[in-house]
Amino acid sequence: MPAIHYLRIWLACVRYSLVRMMMFRADFIMWSLVEVFWVMVNLMLIGVIYRHTDSIAGWGPYEMLLLFGTSRLLQGMLMGFFWSSLFEMGRNIRTGQFDFTLAQPGNPLFMAATRKLDMDSLVNVIASAGIVVYAVHKLGLHPGALDLALYAALLGSGLVIHFAALLLITSATFWLIGTQGIEGSYFTLFDFARLPREAFRGVASLFFVYGLPAVIASNIPASALLHGFNLTHALWLALTAAGWLALAIFVFNRGLKRYSSASS
Amino acid sequence: MRTAFHKYRHVFLVGVQSNLVYRWNFAIRATFSLFHLIAAVTLWRAAFAGKTDIGGFSLAETLTYFVTLMVLQFFIGAFNEDYQVSEEIRNGLINQFLLKPVNYFAYRFTLFVSARTISGLLVLVPLALVMPFLHEYLTLPSDPWRLWMGLPALAMSAVIQFGIAFCFGLLSFWFLEIQSFVILSFAVETVLGGQVFPLDLMPAGLFRLSQFLPYYYQMYFPAAILTGRIATPAEAAVGLGIQACWVVALLGLIHVLWTRGLRRHTAVGG
Repeated sequence: MPAIHYLRIWLACVRYSLVRMMMFRADFIMWSLVEVFWVMVNLMLIGVIYRHTDSIAGWGPYEMLLLFGTSRLLQGMLMGFFWSSLFEMGRNIRTGQFDFTLAQPGNPLFMAATRKLDMDSLVNVIASAGIVVYAVHKLGLHPGALDLALYAALLGSGLVIHFAALLLITSATFWLIGTQGIEGSYFTLFDFARLPREAFRGVASLFFVYGLPAVIASNIPASALLHGFNLTHALWLALTAAGWLALAIFVFNRGLKRYSSASS
Repeated sequence: MRTAFHKYRHVFLVGVQSNLVYRWNFAIRATFSLFHLIAAVTLWRAAFAGKTDIGGFSLAETLTYFVTLMVLQFFIGAFNEDYQVSEEIRNGLINQFLLKPVNYFAYRFTLFVSARTISGLLVLVPLALVMPFLHEYLTLPSDPWRLWMGLPALAMSAVIQFGIAFCFGLLSFWFLEIQSFVILSFAVETVLGGQVFPLDLMPAGLFRLSQFLPYYYQMYFPAAILTGRIATPAEAAVGLGIQACWVVALLGLIHVLWTRGLRRHTAVGG
């Protein structure tokens, strides 16, 4: 199927999600409030720690704010574009309703991962972008168009890592039917994304920086804004993203082969 | 009294059995909590670099506080009791309790106690596994009064935790969907319960204000008694008094929500 058809399908999903949001306006407002409140919770943590110290692993308060904003941007985009669809995929695999996705004329992963958009999480993206802009302003940084384009490209690689991790976790449902709520482990693993890379030492650094890519997914884009573009870091991030995505797609496809319809 | 004891003893035993079925879920949850703990250790260790104390407490005292919170979460924290109550109201399963000589609050609270007994004991397993790496960071004060005042504080914290969850569950008499209320409240509880940072690190005015809110007594208060963040028995006694007031207020609120909710409730079918 040509790319233009997929784009049309995706735009239809966007339209459907928008209509759904307009139907449940109060729900949208309430969930947007929840998202904004969680951002405030984390801002309070940063505020409280920096009341008592000047630096965390060499990162000052506004540098930390930039890192936090970047990690929330990534999480917000994942939640906005993919979370609901992948969460539903796990549930559908358990109940056998995944048949409906497989019956649709298109790539099963595309159909499963892009069905629903969470508009309230996209509000979080706007709030997080605001935090990044505020931190950049307070740090006296003046990124040019190229810097911003490179930051966006690095964010894109980070988003691929987040997506791959969530897809891997959700695909586990093909094997572990009984593990309801396994998708929540994504939040646990990506809790590390808001921490500076330099805070990890010894074995923890090996595991959390080089093994689990949550830390570099947010640290490399934030560092690019702070200290300028670093080609080695960018390649590291891009290759990690490609590797994790390939692994996630491989596991998903293996899971598909295992999936047996529950309805027929 | 004796009959009631026997009745709820059976509920407790059934609760223990059904929670043992989900032992792997609790074990996985406990293991993931360790990841949160590692994140907290990493953050605070970096914040303490070059410092001997933050807010008057050493790194070991601060990390002891977070470890204690993690353990208490599994012993006295409300997990999904709000959703369970909400489900029973929405599905009409609550009707069976209206026809039997069973107090629904007591029934649910007994199940909560049995669930926390199992999850609390299970969290000790992963904790024991990481203890060789953690023990150098742990330091607990040895004053006997901390135990004698900490135990009633823990018991009342459990009632507050459960009471708030139960109130949210009862909202299902009025609202079809309570998830957004629960998540919003969870965010407030997480901050003001001291799970994100020790509350005494907040500006003095805010900290004083938090001491009059129920969230302070949900988790921070017993943890602060046990880990030495509350310095004197007199301070702990005042806290116990305020905590008791919140327990009474919550029980009163539950009574009002229950009686008013039942008036709106319609039982259909047989």
